Amino acid sequence: MTGLFPSLAAVAGILLAAGALGFFAAGALVPAGRPGERVAWGFLLGLYLLAGFVPMTLAAGGRPGWLAFAAAAILVLAASRAARRPAGPEAPPRGVERGRAGVVLVFRAAVAGGVLLYLLRALTEPMWAVDFLAIWGWKGKVIFGARGLPPWTWTTPELAFTHPEYPVGLPLLDAGIAFLLGRWDDHALALLYPAIQVATLLLLVCWLERRGVRRSVALASAAALALFEPLYRAFTTGMAEVPLALLLLAIGVSLVDAVEGDPGANRRLALAALGAAALKNEGLFVAGAAALVALLWRGRPLRRRAGAALAAILPALAAAATQRLRTGPLPLRDFRAGFLLEPGFGGRMALGLRTIATEVLLPAWPLLAALVLLAAAGRRTADARGLLALAALPLFAYAMLPAFCVWGPDWLVRTAFARTSAALAPLLAAALALRLSPVFGRSGESTGSAAGPAA
Amino acid sequence: MRSRRLVALAGYLLLLFSLAAAIRPSELARRARLAIRDSGKDLARRRLDGSSAAFDRRYFFFLESVRRRLPPGTAGVAVLAPSPTVAHHNLTLYAFAPRPALVAPSRIPEGWFLAVYGAGAPDGWRPVASVAGGAVFERAR
Repeated sequence: MTGLFPSLAAVAGILLAAGALGFFAAGALVPAGRPGERVAWGFLLGLYLLAGFVPMTLAAGGRPGWLAFAAAAILVLAASRAARRPAGPEAPPRGVERGRAGVVLVFRAAVAGGVLLYLLRALTEPMWAVDFLAIWGWKGKVIFGARGLPPWTWTTPELAFTHPEYPVGLPLLDAGIAFLLGRWDDHALALLYPAIQVATLLLLVCWLERRGVRRSVALASAAALALFEPLYRAFTTGMAEVPLALLLLAIGVSLVDAVEGDPGANRRLALAALGAAALKNEGLFVAGAAALVALLWRGRPLRRRAGAALAAILPALAAAATQRLRTGPLPLRDFRAGFLLEPGFGGRMALGLRTIATEVLLPAWPLLAALVLLAAAGRRTADARGLLALAALPLFAYAMLPAFCVWGPDWLVRTAFARTSAALAPLLAAALALRLSPVFGRSGESTGSAAGPAA
Repeated sequence: MRSRRLVALAGYLLLLFSLAAAIRPSELARRARLAIRDSGKDLARRRLDGSSAAFDRRYFFFLESVRRRLPPGTAGVAVLAPSPTVAHHNLTLYAFAPRPALVAPSRIPEGWFLAVYGAGAPDGWRPVASVAGGAVFERAR
């Protein structure tokens, strides 16, 4: 079985099986009556299962495979059954848009078009991005081939460019799929990324609809996101930005739900924050940002805000601590905090910001102008403000970090700024849809919680 | 409210326009052709035709030839290539995983094989296999 299509079918089967198991387990996270959201969260849970069964099995001295995966799945399903199912409203009323069927159809077609475009871009050839070969894919291939990450992977000085200090959630996920597939197939494995894109779009649309956003507005938002090539392109396939985008959206929407007291929202927030911190170093930062946004959220009880803040930060700290225990302290190879105290720091900062302005923002001016128009057309809502704050904090960090880069501020901007910032797109899409919702009329009552929307 | 809707519509059309500008039919056609042409080939041949080997396809062919000649249990591989770039380092590391592999290391650990891309026989090493684009050596005893 050396051709692409049999392997693709096998990977699709693995993803469907994991997603189905996740769907059942997601009953402990998502209240009844929200099938779309439960599918998206279930898929995310399925990915956790695929990544998580590998270290569990290896730690127990076993061989990762279908048997170990089934055992892990049974544990997860048993835990989800034992966890109290969050009580939620019965089947929520769906927005009805009489006379808008054509608009909805056009946006659905655009969403499908965006997914098909990404499928083609992602599956043209085996994953090839620089960071896939040197970091994410390489670690996954080592885990699969060596049954773990041997210490030489983080102690060999010549291999510092593989960033041993990065979390290993994504390599574990790649390896988990490979163990079930029975071989390392870095072409068929690329199917994971369009699947994550679909889960992101599903979560976005279903959450917005539950918040009372008209279906046409929610789908318009999803269509723009699906077609957003800076995120969904061949180059990002195999890297951490596509899964991070899903996790950032999951953090954002569960944060909004959590401050409103929606059943299960703290669990969802904790799960998303855990995944983000296990995926990328900035995942811990975003979890901290989510905790800060929760604490500063106005008009909600302190107890609820504090609960959301803890749900965001504690699992992320646990993930970061696990990584540190695994390898010991490792320096951030690309950055040096000492630049802050040096005389040329202002110049470094200026160079970084100037490079962002001239090489990233200026060429993207139509896109930015469009976003400004959309933001200006909308109305302020507390939910949108929370999501925008959550997106703004990492964006600010991405703009400041180049000043600390040992390879030069302009180097970091050119190699990473646009790519890493693109992962914030789903959060932005959700925030803009919420702002535009009052302008185009809400489709019905929010069923997010007893408190209703915080518009 | 009507003016806000018009602004939103203008913004959305501009957004779609800027997103659509990134869609290049010629690129999509090229991708479709490559995917269809290569779908029946084995994985290594698909990588050989792909972007990661584009900087020097003969080099990937060499790496793959070396990989297939290495005995099981090989501790690691050092590769010597003329003027290696970042792409050489990344592809070499990835191709030999899960074995450790280094390009032009300052010191070659005991038990490692040495693969030389191009001509040349390093002192203190004896050839064990000739491969496409180079040769594989082990330390002379």
